[in-house]
Amino acid sequence: MKKKLLEQIIKKKENKDEFAIITNIANGESCIFEKNKSIDKNFEKYLSEISNHFNKKKNGIIENTDIFIETYVRPIKVIIVGAVHIAQYLVDYAKSLNFEISIIDPRGYFATEQRFPDLKIINKWPEEAFKELETNENSALIALTHDPKIDDPALQHALKNKFYYIGALGSKKTHENRCQRLKDAGFSEAEIYSIHGPIGIKLGGKSAPEIALSIIAQLVEVTYKK
Amino acid sequence: MKNSFDEKILEEANDWLKANQKVVLATVIQTWGSSPRQVGSRMIVNENGDFSGSVSGGCVESAVVRECMGIIKENKPHKKIEFKVSNESAWEVGLACGGEIAVYLEQIN
Repeated sequence: MKKKLLEQIIKKKENKDEFAIITNIANGESCIFEKNKSIDKNFEKYLSEISNHFNKKKNGIIENTDIFIETYVRPIKVIIVGAVHIAQYLVDYAKSLNFEISIIDPRGYFATEQRFPDLKIINKWPEEAFKELETNENSALIALTHDPKIDDPALQHALKNKFYYIGALGSKKTHENRCQRLKDAGFSEAEIYSIHGPIGIKLGGKSAPEIALSIIAQLVEVTYKK
Repeated sequence: MKNSFDEKILEEANDWLKANQKVVLATVIQTWGSSPRQVGSRMIVNENGDFSGSVSGGCVESAVVRECMGIIKENKPHKKIEFKVSNESAWEVGLACGGEIAVYLEQIN
C-alpha cells in the first residue's frame, strides 16, 4: 500500500465517510472505492462486484478474483422511544455493537442527562423529534413506553419510512390492541406484521438488563438477515 | 457488528511511518471454519519485530511477525500466507480452533 493512500484512508475515517479499501492481492495494487464515484482504472472491470459487496457491507475476496474489499460503513441508527430503565441497559449493549442510539421521550423526568450521560436525548413528542433525525430503511426503532400516545406516532413514522427493524414492548394483549389501532390508521396487515411485538427473543428473563439483552439479540439477528 | 471507524491500527501504522519505521500491514483476507478474528482484522509489524493489533487469538501472531520482518528484509512488496489447523502435541504454529485463515502482508511505502 502506498503511504499516500494510507493518509487518504485515515482522512476518510476521520470524516466518517463511507468507503471501501480495494486491494488486488495478486499484484499489490490498492485504491479507495466510494459509492457513485469513479474508481481507479485498474479496478474498473470489477466495479459492479465491488459495488455489490459494498452494498451488502461485506468484507472479503470477491469470488473467482484476487480482489479483496474492506468496507467502512457507519453504525446503524437505532431510535429508542422511552427513556426507561431497559433503555439504560440497551445503551450499554449498543456501545460495543456498532449501533448509534438516539432516545426520544417527551417526559422530562425520564429523559435526564444524569440517567443517560453522553447520549442524544430528544425531549419532544415523536412527531417533533423525528424532524431532528435522519432516518431511512437502515434505521431501527425500539418502542418501550407501551403508552399509545408516545409509541404509536413513532411506530407510524417507522412504518412509513420502512425501518428495517421495528420492535414494541408490551404484552400480547397490549400488542393486539396496538395492531388494531394501526389497522384503523390504515396500515396493511403485512406492515403491522413486520413489527416485532412482543419485542425480543425468548430468553426467559424478566429483569431490565435481561429484557434489554433479548431486544438487542433480536436486533443483531435481524440486522444480519437484512 | 464491526465498527471499522473506531479501530485505530491504520492510524498507528501512520505514526510508525512518521517515526521513520518500516511498516508491514497484515490483514485477514479469508477464513474457513471457525476462526478467532474476522476478515478485515489487522496487525502491523515493523523491522524490529514490534507489533500491534492481531490476526488471531494469539495463535499465529509470532509467525506473522517473522514473515513480515522477512518481507522487509527481502524488500518484497507483498505476500499471502495461510495457516491451517495445528497439531496440538507439537510446538508448531497453527490454529487450535481448527479453522484456517489467509493473511495478506503488504509493505507501506
